Amino acid sequence: MKVQKRSKLQIYFGVLKILREELKQNGHPSLTRVAHVANLPYDRFRDCLDYLIQVGMVSRGGEKLIVTDKGCEFIQEFERINDFLRRMGLSSEI
Amino acid sequence: MSTEILVVSEFVSVALALILVYFFLKAHRLMRFVHLLGLPIGFSFLASSYFFLGLSLLYKSNVAISDSLLWFRLITQGFGFAFIAFSYFFSSKTERTTRYFLGLITFASVISILLVFVALIVAPPFLETPSVNVLDEYFRIANLLFLGYVIYHLIRHSKPSNGTISGFVWALSAFSLLWLAQYSLLIWGIDGSQTAFILAHVARLVSLTLLILVYYKSGRAQE
Repeated sequence: MKVQKRSKLQIYFGVLKILREELKQNGHPSLTRVAHVANLPYDRFRDCLDYLIQVGMVSRGGEKLIVTDKGCEFIQEFERINDFLRRMGLSSEI
Repeated sequence: MSTEILVVSEFVSVALALILVYFFLKAHRLMRFVHLLGLPIGFSFLASSYFFLGLSLLYKSNVAISDSLLWFRLITQGFGFAFIAFSYFFSSKTERTTRYFLGLITFASVISILLVFVALIVAPPFLETPSVNVLDEYFRIANLLFLGYVIYHLIRHSKPSNGTISGFVWALSAFSLLWLAQYSLLIWGIDGSQTAFILAHVARLVSLTLLILVYYKSGRAQE
């Protein structure tokens, strides 16, 4: 089966969602674990994380990473559009 | 049905179609799937077709202007449904982010519209010169085929096991109503039935509203 390449936004969405879930569960998530769950090589994951910090979707509170309100809004909007496309029969992930 | 009500119905349809254009552009901006661009293009064509029909009703005393506007309506409506159907067709393909997909959707839509004109030559109507009304029937049959494909696509992709079947029902009902609207207009064109004419307008308004509701119902589970 041919696996579809993820877009940058899909990768950002995946990282943000996993990071938020890990934060809820552990409070202090391991970055290697988040990279592993997001199915990304660590160097690409770091680039992705740096970008998310740069655009204000993730912030550093000392040693701790926090998914900001902007990040949470992005997750919500992405899930909504994804669900909309699924309901419209336009997504391959149906 | 009075002209005023019809004009209002056309302009309400324009507004509803433009809302859908906005939703699909938003989806494209976020997902970057090129095939998703076919939908805002399709719904823009549909919005312009309702606009031209509304204008033709306003200028119905001037036959020359009214007929020209009806020609625009025919072509834009045909393109609208063609773009929507081919967007669905190409959404099944895996490599959806490549740029040539939009060109492919456009090419397929142009060819299918040209085929309607070819059908007019190959299977000519009884009348000597094809008027807007005669061509209208040919386009309606093409529109029924385009919408039929969308309905087929939705049925084929609905899987009861994944729990999203109820989500599909809304889109499926909306496109089925759009199909019914075209079918009713075909019947109205043949026998002049007022019931079919009213049904066509109501079905179209309900279908566009249902498509907008699909967006508002989306993401509720996550909230």
